Amino acid sequence: ARLTSDRSSRRKDWTKLIYSTSLTPKQILNGQEENALEGDEEVDEDDFFQIKRRADADQDEVLDRSKDALAAEELRRWEDEERLESIRHLFITGGDTPGGNG
Amino acid sequence: MTTLLQFSGHQHLRHRLVLSILSGKHVRIDKIRPEDKNPGLRDYEISLLRLLEKVTNGTIIEISVTGTAILLKPGIISGGPLTHDCPLSRSIGYYLEPLVMLAPFSKTPFQITLRGITTDENDLSVDLFRTVTLPHLQLFGVSEGLELRIKKRGAPPEGGGEVQFLCPVVKQVKTLNFVEPGKIKRIRGVAHAVRVNPQFSNRMIEASRSILNRYIPDIYLYSDVYKGEESGKSPGYALSLLAESTTSAIHCAEAISKPGVAPEDIGLEASRALMAEVNLGGCVDRKHQILVLLMMVLGSEDVGRCRMGEPTPRTIQFLRDVREFFGTSFKIVPAEPVSTQLLYSCYGTGYVNANRALA
Repeated sequence: ARLTSDRSSRRKDWTKLIYSTSLTPKQILNGQEENALEGDEEVDEDDFFQIKRRADADQDEVLDRSKDALAAEELRRWEDEERLESIRHLFITGGDTPGGNG
Repeated sequence: MTTLLQFSGHQHLRHRLVLSILSGKHVRIDKIRPEDKNPGLRDYEISLLRLLEKVTNGTIIEISVTGTAILLKPGIISGGPLTHDCPLSRSIGYYLEPLVMLAPFSKTPFQITLRGITTDENDLSVDLFRTVTLPHLQLFGVSEGLELRIKKRGAPPEGGGEVQFLCPVVKQVKTLNFVEPGKIKRIRGVAHAVRVNPQFSNRMIEASRSILNRYIPDIYLYSDVYKGEESGKSPGYALSLLAESTTSAIHCAEAISKPGVAPEDIGLEASRALMAEVNLGGCVDRKHQILVLLMMVLGSEDVGRCRMGEPTPRTIQFLRDVREFFGTSFKIVPAEPVSTQLLYSCYGTGYVNANRALA
C-alpha cells in the first residue's frame, strides 16, 4: 500500500488539490479523485428505510492532536535490520549512496 | 467593518482561534459536536478559550447556551506574567502549541506558568517543546530569552507538573529559506521516570542505543531526574528523541509508558519512531509543519521557501484556513523530480507586530 501511495503522490498536484477541490484532507492523501466521489453515496433502491447518516458522528472520536500516532505496522517495519540499514545514507557517516543528495 | 469568518465542527479549533487573533478577524464556529451524547465544547476547549482571553486584552468570547457554537472577537495579544491551570483531560502541550504561535507578536513578553500533565501521547511533551519546537521559532529570528523551564513533571492521569514559558516579542519575523535538509550529525534525547524505579530511565536509554549506535557516534541521551514534590502526582516514564542535521533540520519522536510495557520497549519504540521520521526527510518534521508554515505566512514581503514531506491532514486544513484569514496560498511542488519531498513557498504578508510596546 505504501508503494502505491508513494507513486501516486509523485503525480499529485498539491497546490490544486488543496486550494481548488473540496476533497477532505484524508481523501487528498489517499489519492482520491474528485469525480470519483459521487460513487461514494450508493443508494440501494430496494431499501425503503434508510439509515440517516451522521457524517460527524464518528469524526467526533478524532482528537485534535499534534502528535500523530505512528501506525503499529509502520513501527514494526523498523524492527527489520535491513530497513534500519536502508537509511544509513541520511547520516553524515553514511556516504553518498542511495539517492544521496550530497 | 470587520470580517467575520465562519467554520463548523470542533476539529482544528486551536489553529482557527490563533489565526483569528493574529489577523484580527472575528470567527464564528458552529456545529461543535451537535450529535454527540454530550454535545458542545469539552472542558479543555473551554479552558483554552479562557487562556486565550487571559493572554489578550479586549477579547470577547461568546459561547452559545448549548456550547455548540462560539464567537470570538479578538483583542490585542498582551502577554506578561500569567498562570494557567490546565485541566487533566489534555496535556500542557495542547495549550503551548497555540501560545507559541501568538507569543512573538505580544505587547509584552510572555512569562506564563502552566500547570498540569507534562507528557502524554496526544500532544508534544514539554521536552520536545523545549528541544525541538523552540529552535523552530529561532529560524524566524525569535531567539533571545526564548525558554521553557520544566519545574515539575506531571505524568497522567493526575499530573502535578509545572512549566514556565518565556518568549521575547519581535517586530517582524524573518523570511525563511530552508531547502537543504543536510545529513544527520547528532542525536539527542531526554529520558525521565517519575514515581517509578529511577533505573527505568537508563533501561530506556540502553535499549534506544541498541538501535541508534550504528549510525553515528555523536549520541547523547540524558536521564533527567526529578524527585519528591518535583516529580508530580502519578507514576510514568518516557523517552523523547531528536535527530539534528548538518543544516540544523530537526526530526523528533517520543514514546511514553503504557501499563504492562517494559522500559526497554518504550526505548525501542521511540527509536523506531525517530527513524521513521528521519526517513520522511525534509527540513521540518510533520509535528512542526503548521508552526513553520504560519511563520512563513507572517514573514516579511518576500518569498519564503521550505522543503518538507507530504502535508499531514491537519496541515492541509491549516493551509486552507490560512488562505481564508490572510489570503495567502502556498505553491507546493515536488522538491526534485523523483522525490516525495515537497517545496512549499509563499509570499510573506509582511505582518508587523502592532501590539509591541514602543520602547
